Amino acid sequence: MKILRDIFEKVSPSFHEGGKFKAFKPVYEAMENFFFAPAARTVMAPHVRDPIDVKRFMSMVIIGVIPCVLASLYFYGLQIIAMIIVSYAVGGVVEVIFAMVRKEEINEGFLVTGMLFPLILPPTLPLWMVGVGVAFGVFVGKELFGGTGRNLFNPALIGRCFLALAYPAAMSSNWVAAGEAGVGRLMQYVTASSVDAISSATPLVLAKQGSVVEVSHMILGTTSGSVGETSGALIIIGGVFLLFTRVANWRTVVSILLSAGVMAGVLHHSDPGRFAPALWHLFAGGMLFGAFFMATDPVTSPVTNTGKWFYGIIIGVVTISIRNFTGYVEGVMFAILLGNIIAPILDEIVVGFRLRRLRGEG
Amino acid sequence: MKFQGGFNVLLEGRPEGLVKVMPEPKVLYLPLQTKRFNFSDVRVTEGDNVEPGEFLATDPDNYSIPLLAPRAGKVRLDVAAGYIVLDEIARHEEHPHTDEDEMSHIVQEMGAGGIKRYKLLNLGAWEFFSEAYSGNVPDPLGTPQAVIVSTVSLEPFVARGDAQLHNRLLQFTRGLEHLQSLLEYQPIYLIMPDITSAFATRVREHIRGYAWVKLIEVPMRYPYDNFNILARKFGLKKEAGPVWSIKTEGVLAVDRALTMSKPCLLRILSVGGPRVHSPIHICVMPGYPLKKILDTYASGYDYRVIINGMLSGEMMAIDALGVDSECRGLTIISELKEREFLGFVRPGWDRQSYSECFLSSLRKNFRERFTTAFRGEGRPCVSCNYCAEVCPAEILPHRIHKYLYSDLIEEADASRVDLCVQCGLCSFVCPSKIELKQQFFDAKIEIEQEKEEARLEALKREQEAQESAE
Repeated sequence: MKILRDIFEKVSPSFHEGGKFKAFKPVYEAMENFFFAPAARTVMAPHVRDPIDVKRFMSMVIIGVIPCVLASLYFYGLQIIAMIIVSYAVGGVVEVIFAMVRKEEINEGFLVTGMLFPLILPPTLPLWMVGVGVAFGVFVGKELFGGTGRNLFNPALIGRCFLALAYPAAMSSNWVAAGEAGVGRLMQYVTASSVDAISSATPLVLAKQGSVVEVSHMILGTTSGSVGETSGALIIIGGVFLLFTRVANWRTVVSILLSAGVMAGVLHHSDPGRFAPALWHLFAGGMLFGAFFMATDPVTSPVTNTGKWFYGIIIGVVTISIRNFTGYVEGVMFAILLGNIIAPILDEIVVGFRLRRLRGEG
Repeated sequence: MKFQGGFNVLLEGRPEGLVKVMPEPKVLYLPLQTKRFNFSDVRVTEGDNVEPGEFLATDPDNYSIPLLAPRAGKVRLDVAAGYIVLDEIARHEEHPHTDEDEMSHIVQEMGAGGIKRYKLLNLGAWEFFSEAYSGNVPDPLGTPQAVIVSTVSLEPFVARGDAQLHNRLLQFTRGLEHLQSLLEYQPIYLIMPDITSAFATRVREHIRGYAWVKLIEVPMRYPYDNFNILARKFGLKKEAGPVWSIKTEGVLAVDRALTMSKPCLLRILSVGGPRVHSPIHICVMPGYPLKKILDTYASGYDYRVIINGMLSGEMMAIDALGVDSECRGLTIISELKEREFLGFVRPGWDRQSYSECFLSSLRKNFRERFTTAFRGEGRPCVSCNYCAEVCPAEILPHRIHKYLYSDLIEEADASRVDLCVQCGLCSFVCPSKIELKQQFFDAKIEIEQEKEEARLEALKREQEAQESAE
């Protein structure tokens, strides 16, 4: 620690006013404040501050998805690590360039985007597509709006949406049959050309073709699908951690799962031959991952707690509608993006009621 | 009554309930400026000998509230700018500043009630009163729509009601009676931590038969002792007249002034915080040398002294010499010295956080040892909603912040930034470390000014219209 301290102190002058690498000041500061808690002191009341900060807020999400990442390595192979590295590298470069141009600090938001993005892609997507997607997502989804905290859409979903429209073939194939028994695919690096591992059908695709995958497989994760969305049990473990730490709001999660479950249940009851059962819908595809990790992004979801309930209901209902009544097999991504658009309106309505109540006060 | 928001900040270094009388000082430094008062009208000259209870100065803008001499001594005006210094301190018989001629005149003009108000003002009890909504001193001759008496003090480390009430229950209830005699059937709300406790039962026995006192229980979360919030909860409207609010020490001062006709010269202060080796309440007089208190109770050096609580108080000025008459406590906390290695992964394992992250969500509440660390870097708002959850005034701090960030001052006004009570909890919990409290304070002043200007403008236009009509 002492050595690290000394290094920082030694290089510090060249990153500040008059130094050689003045333009890279945000990078230096981000590194320094990563290793050592900021030296800033309070100058006004309140003189003490809660230990929570944005860095920790964001790092909690990363801890939450670690079980999913480990599961994906086991089921789909080591190429996942390469995808995560590419995603972080490209997303980080975009973020750093914007921080330098704007002369602002580097925001921690890309740590989450860079981690979540590969987890919602097919497991053998070419690495260059991962890079293009995350660059588009961070640039269009976040930086154009003014950076972390000011974006309207979830950047990771914007990136995925872009890929889904630009490379529909690659985004709807490239699935991997989950590795089973022993070490799974922990020793393999699976690419699109590894013929034995590639499988064409996720549970949602199979359902369109009329065969329903057992729910127990989806809970364990022994099915094909996007990188992070296979194992229902592990997503729930990571997600509940997020709910406990209050980084994700339980209202969003509960309302999405409840409304989707109720709607799927009603449909299944009306025509069991055509519509899959509710539990199946909850564990299939990106429903759990979307509910716990994507929809709960505080920036793009409504701020007010009442707004969160309606936001969740909209996402749940739209997801089930897309899955059952349109040509698309999966609807979580579009549902959450739609929810992101509606979120400010929901907030506006809730705040309107609140202000009406406050008007006569005091 | 439903309370929203609020937070119980558990901190190490809570003062004991005991009150210790500090040794007599040799010199007193009485500040001419306090949070609310500016004693600009100095009534003494260099070298005067004053008796305890005599006027040293008054505040002409606040109903001539006096600054009383707490001890006999010799006045020095040139020793320290902004202070009246008393040396050659001695304990003499109190010398209440009440003039017989003036009193008989007041009796003729206003009757017995007038005398009481005259005594409260001149014996130094009136400065304990504040108006619940504005926080200013109410007009001593006015009639309030209600009185709120609070025995609780919820900001960490600030002088607690139970320490002040110790063995003085009789004086307290007598003070309540005196308060009631100033009113015309207006209610008195008495705020208690627990209206079923043994203490509350004793209070109830003492005040039995006085139907005008309503006992109200508030949850023990900061800042439910705030008079502004309480007045709102009781449905008292700002337009319906002033709401007098007063704490335990104020009721005791009323008793002293009206029962014994003696001036209130002593204060009970708390001395607490992580850097105090034995947190305690002390009994001192205004002007008591701060250095002497700090030498006795603060440990080490490189600490920060905060006048009143750590959430809403102010940093003690470096050149501050004496305790001011409005101070209710000193909070002493460590300045941040060492930067923690990988600090952002550690909080939660060993410290409590509002967001209950990591293990702290599974642990019971424990006392936190805070420093002046900012604990993060300033960031744009991430809309986590913590500020709105913790806000006792039920406004939406994040939304107002966004309006102010884009210079939409009218929108901020429409979102009722004026209801903010400056408790500081939003700034405390904000993960993006936004100075919400300060922003709202500035915004309120700006809105006030704009409204005042608009009012003057309208008045001027009206006059012009009248003139042209004539």
